[in-house]
Formats: sequence, structure tokens, C-alpha cells
Amino acid sequence: MSRSLKQVAVLLVALLCLDPHGRVGSAPICAHGPSGCHVPSLADLFDRVIQHSARMHSLSNDLHSEFEQYFLPSKNHIGKIYRKCHTSNILTPNGKENAQKLAREELTEVILKLLMAWRDPLFQLHQSMADQQDFNSFSSNKALEMGDMAHELRKGVEKVAEKMRVLGMLGNSVTGLSAAEAMLPLSESGEAMSDYELLYCFRRDSNKVQNYLKILKCRIVPEHDC
Amino acid sequence: MAYSLLLSLLYLGMLCGNGLVSARSELFTPDPSRGPHFTGCRSREQETFRCWWSAGIFQNLTEPGALRVFYMTKHALSEWQECPDYTRTVKNECYFNKTFTQIWTSYCIQLRSVRENITYDEACFTVENIVHPDPPIGLNWTLLNVSRSGLHYDILVRWAPPPSADVQMGWMSLEYQVQYRVRNNSHWEMLDLESGTQQSIYGLHTDKEYEVRVRCKMTAFDNFGEFSDSIIVHVAQIPSKESTFPTTLVLIFGMIGVVILLVLLIFSQQQRLMVIFLPPIPAPKIKGIDPELLKNGKLDQLNSLLSSQDMYKPDFYHEDPWVEFIQLDLDDPAEKNESSDTQHLLGLSRSGSSHVLNFKSDDDSGRASCYDPEIPNPEDLATLLPGHSGRGDNHPLVSRSSSSIPDLGVQQTSEVKETPIQKQPAVPSWVNMDFYAQVSDFTPAGGVVLSPGQLNSSLEKKKEEENEKKIQFQLVSDGAYTSENTARQLSANVPSSPGPEQGYQTFPTQAVEGTSERGVPGCPPSDSQMPYLLPEAPPSPILPPVSDYTVVQEVDAQHSLLLNPPSSQPAICPHSPNKHLPAMPTMPMGYLTPDFLGNLTP
Repeated sequence: MSRSLKQVAVLLVALLCLDPHGRVGSAPICAHGPSGCHVPSLADLFDRVIQHSARMHSLSNDLHSEFEQYFLPSKNHIGKIYRKCHTSNILTPNGKENAQKLAREELTEVILKLLMAWRDPLFQLHQSMADQQDFNSFSSNKALEMGDMAHELRKGVEKVAEKMRVLGMLGNSVTGLSAAEAMLPLSESGEAMSDYELLYCFRRDSNKVQNYLKILKCRIVPEHDC
Repeated sequence: MAYSLLLSLLYLGMLCGNGLVSARSELFTPDPSRGPHFTGCRSREQETFRCWWSAGIFQNLTEPGALRVFYMTKHALSEWQECPDYTRTVKNECYFNKTFTQIWTSYCIQLRSVRENITYDEACFTVENIVHPDPPIGLNWTLLNVSRSGLHYDILVRWAPPPSADVQMGWMSLEYQVQYRVRNNSHWEMLDLESGTQQSIYGLHTDKEYEVRVRCKMTAFDNFGEFSDSIIVHVAQIPSKESTFPTTLVLIFGMIGVVILLVLLIFSQQQRLMVIFLPPIPAPKIKGIDPELLKNGKLDQLNSLLSSQDMYKPDFYHEDPWVEFIQLDLDDPAEKNESSDTQHLLGLSRSGSSHVLNFKSDDDSGRASCYDPEIPNPEDLATLLPGHSGRGDNHPLVSRSSSSIPDLGVQQTSEVKETPIQKQPAVPSWVNMDFYAQVSDFTPAGGVVLSPGQLNSSLEKKKEEENEKKIQFQLVSDGAYTSENTARQLSANVPSSPGPEQGYQTFPTQAVEGTSERGVPGCPPSDSQMPYLLPEAPPSPILPPVSDYTVVQEVDAQHSLLLNPPSSQPAICPHSPNKHLPAMPTMPMGYLTPDFLGNLTP
């Protein structure tokens, strides 16, 4: 009895393995070019990335205002003063015209640098917010989501840059894409920044990233007198 | 962690001092009670910004140049610089153009009096946080639809972004908020933020004037710009009520008319409808017989009816070739003397009790034949008979030989009784029928000899016998089945007869009981009709109908069974002389089974 069962099992396995239809194969998506599936254009990629950055910025704004309500009940915008963020060392264009004057490669590099610089601090922020009992789970979830978004956004921007390079829009002078180092969020005095400071700085930097992407898109993809 | 944060914040607060530059427009109004201070800073398009201040109570500093603004960007370690542009047209305004505006950079401004070298006010901010976009332009509305009743309508409001904001490139992404109210009302209705440039407003009332306005702000920032100019929305009410009014009236009246018609229809056709909806239950019908007659008719009519019914059933009796008759066998004459059971049986009657072998026939026997299979074979009875002591010739049973005794008053069912009628082809009436016979003699073998026919002779014979001892065969009628005629005649006969001998008992009451529902007139009624017959009845006219079987009431010493009073004529019942004696009906009570015989034996 057991022998026959074994034989049957062997037969089944052989059938499954040898049968070409029984095998589950993975075919690459869009292997056959435009006819196979829809390949997003550069404009679509930019739109997606910009939407993503907008979402990230709104999240950071929500968290920041929550934090302000928590720790700064007064209406005074005392907090909105000069703070030195850890990303202040990165030279970023401070205006629209400055950003427009900047080269595409540099602009892309700046974006990637910023996003890379915030990889670890966001994770750290989420950890500290989750540990503290002052925040509800909703806020800590937002922080986690924010960190994930930053990570995804960075990946997206890298893809966009790759595509631009493929299309010849970017020169090969961009070297900082891979050299973006992760920076430790250290304040002026060398101490670790607080949660509020992190939130304040990230809110500012996410707004920067969003605007830079818009400017970049406008320059790369020419549409209605951008 | 929180403690250190709080400390740092306090320190920063001290640094900034009392002067606060709020981005809210509420703080635009100068505070007259204070000294010189900043009233606000604003940026319209995130590319330039302006700051305003006020001298306050220090009126001596109102002349231009007395107060000066210095700013410093903490972005780069720089010193305080003076306001790049004091607006000439506007008093106390400092304008920072594009070159001096840095986004995402912290600014700190100071209000100083140079002459006195006093800093009256200080404020710090970042430009993106003081952006108040200009109001949208080009606000207009279009009518979407009007409701059926003409009381409400929906509109679509459109606008354009402020021209100063660079939305094309996306340098500023704006969100809009639409507000509307009834004109001259104080409360504004606010709709949700809209990122597009159009929005629908639903549920507005006609004949009311509405004001609509819109304002915008930067997405993910908190500062709304100024409101746009209000537009007036007004839709005149179209008088359409008259068109709907008659329609409803027509409908209502139509429904009422239809209802009235239905009611009239129902009332007029009530009978027919009743028949349709509640059909009558069919009454039982007998072919040829009017059920009304059955209920209300006279007895003789009924009798005639019923007899006529069976007139047309000729085959009843023909099909019973095996009518059995109980044969009474008496083994020896000696046994005749022993009449213990019979005497016992009859003795009860002598004592005056009305013990009667009650032969009760079945109701509605429905017997199609005279043959009763339940009647034991004569042989069985005969065998049983000797076993019982004293049975002998006192057997109460009337034995009927197959054909020797044509006439025997034996109670029969109606059908049996009536079939003999049909068996007599030549007999127009049953006057000549001998319904009952008198036992004339006993054979040595124990058989009872019944003398048929000649009534007179039998009667005379009987009279002779009865002179010695009258044995009253009391025919008790089953109350329900005594015919009226029978009862009457019986009761009539009762008083006329002379004093009866033993066993003479009259049961006129019983005889009168009931009314025979059916039965051939002149014949003994069906079932167990046992008319009361007097032994001493004078020669009466046609006897009332007698049952088919006769209960043997008494056996006198001479072993003669008196079945019927000799005076009474035999029942004028259609019984063919040649007919087989009808079998005794199966009557559990009246039928003397061997068991019963056994019981009779003391």
C-alpha cells in the first residue's frame, strides 16, 4: 500500500515538474515594450513623485502643528525662529529664481541629498515618539508613515534621475547621487535634536523637496509656459 | 527630554523678547496702548514680503526716519542690516524684494529708534510661514439645475487663482474655500477646502439673494488670504404650481370615482359574487329521491319512495344462492323437556320482566343480500345444541330449513325483506305472502315444523295451543324502527285482546317508539322491527309489517314455539313461498350464538 502511494506521489511530482504548464513562471513586466503594458512617461513619473512629496509635506505639517499644540499652548510663534537643522550644511537654493537658475543635475542632487539626510533621523523620530507616552498612537503612526514616505520618495527620485540620464537630460557630471551620505542629526551644540526640532526641520525640508521637484519638472517637461 | 525642550524653548522665548510678529491678520491693527511695535509681516507670493510697524503712543516718533527697521537672517552669520526699502507710498512699511527674500530662512527684524538707540520691538519668522495669498479673481456662477417644485436650485461657482501666485509652476499650491450666505445675513456658510478652481453649491432657495465669496491659502500651511469680492446669486422663482395642482386633483377625483364604481358593482352583483367566492356545499343526493321529501315528507310517501327504490334492484336476492339457514336440531324428544336455558330465558318473561331477547339489527345494514355470512352453519349450531343441556327443543332460535318453511317471520333487513317482494313475480301485493309462520309441531328429530300459508288454520291451531298456554312472543321493537302503522295497530290490538296468559306483556309504549323511516307498508319494517304482536289478537285486518325474524319468546310445555300471535295475520310482506328463508341478520344482540346459548344454560 505504501509503495503504491509512493509511486503515485512520485508520478505526481514528476508530472508537475515536467509539465510546462504546471510550472509557475515569472515573466518580466513590460518585457515586450510599449505593446505589452503601459510604460509611464517622465511626466507621469514626475507627477507621481510630486504627489508623493506633497503628501509627505502635509504629514509633516500635521505632526508639527500637533506638536505645537502639545508643547506650545500659547499662540506665540516663538518656535518659528532660527534653528539650525542638521541639513543646513547642504547648500540649497533659497528662492524660486535661485532654484531655477540651478542646473538640473545639481537640483536633482540637492533633492537626493536632502532625502538621504533624513533617512535615519526620521526613523529615530518615530522611535522616540513611539517610546514616549505623550503621543497617541496616531501621531507615532504618522511619524512612521512619514519615514516610509521619505524612503520611497528617495527611491522614486532616483528612478526619475535614472530615466532622465537615460533620456540624456542629465549629464554625467552628477556624482553626488550615490555619494549622499547619511548625516546624523546633530544640533549646533552637538547634542541630539529634540523631536520638535526634528519636526520643524523636516517640515521645512519637505517643503523644499516639494518645490524643487516642481521646479525640476517644469524645466524638464515643458508644458504650458512653465 | 521634554524638560530640556521646555528649557530651550523658554530660553528662546526670552531671546525673542516681548515683540512677536504673528502671521495672523488680527494683529495687523496697531495697538495704541503700546509703544512702537511691529504690526505684521506678510508675503503674497512667497517671493517678497513686507513688514509694517506702528509708533504707538509715542507720537513724537511718527515722523519718518525716527524709527528704523533692521533685519538679520540667521541663515548666515550676518549683522543687522537696515530695511532695504522703505515704501514711500505707504507709511511705516518696509518692503523686501526678491533679492532680499530668502525662503526657508529665518528672519529677525528689529524696530529701533536710531536717535535713542532703543530697540522697541523684535520679531522672527520664516517667509513661507507668513505667506498670505492674494484673493482669487474672476468669481462667477452658473445655474446647474432647478428642482421640480421650483423652490431650490444648484449653482456652480468658478474662479481663477490670484495672478501673483505662481501656480503654473507649482511654486505655490493653493487651496480654496468658498463661503456663501443669504444677503444681509450675518452667518456665512463655509464649504470644504477645494484644490480645484470650481465648486458646486446645492440647495439654494429661489427668490433669495445670496452672497458668495472665496479665499485661498497655501496647501499644508495655515494662513488664509483675503476674501475675494462677493458676488450676488439670485434665481427668480418660476410660477409652476398651477401645473402641478390640477394634476393631483384629477388623480384624487379619479381614484374616488373608481372606488365608487367598484362599490356599486359589488353591490349589484352581490349574489353572483357570493356564488363565485363562496360556492355552496352540495347536499347529498339520492338518485330519484328528493332530499326535501326525506326531510319533510310523510311516512307513507317515504315508504313508497324507498320501496320503489328497491324495486329496481332485482338481483339482490338472486345472487345469494347460499343463503344459510340455521337449523335447529333437537336430538331427542327427551331433551325437549329440558328447557332449562329456554325456560330460564322464557321464565324471565313469565316473571313479568320484560326480558326480551332483544334483537337489534344493525343500522343501515346495507346488506345487498339476504345471506349473512356470519350466521353460523346450521351444522355448527346443531352440533352445539346437543352439547347444551336443556337446549333441546327449547332452542330459542328459530330454525329455518332451506325451503320447507317458506314463511317465517324472521326479522330481516329491509333489503332482504323487500327482495322477496321482487321474488314473487305473480304476486301483485304481499297480501298473499306469509311473512311469518307458526310453529305447528316438533319433529322427533327436533326440527320445528312451521306451518306456512293458511293463516286461518294456523291461527286456529295456534289458538288451540294457546288455550293451554299462551306463550307470548314478544316482539319488541327497537324503538327507532317501529313503523307508525305497526305501532298503532299493535297498540290497538293490545287492549282488545283478553287478559293474556303468562308472558303476555304489552309494550305499547315501546311499540310506538320511533317511526319507521322506511319499509314497505304492511311489511315489517327494516332492521329490527319487531312490532308488538298480541298472541290473542283478534283476526285483524292486514297486519302491520312485521320484522323478518321473530323472537322466540316462549316455548310451551308442548314444545311449540309461538312466534306470532295466531290471530294476527301474517305480515303482508312480499315473501315468495318459494323463496329461501331469509337468513337471520347478523345481530350481535339478537342473534343467539352458541356462546349465548351457553350462557343461557344455567
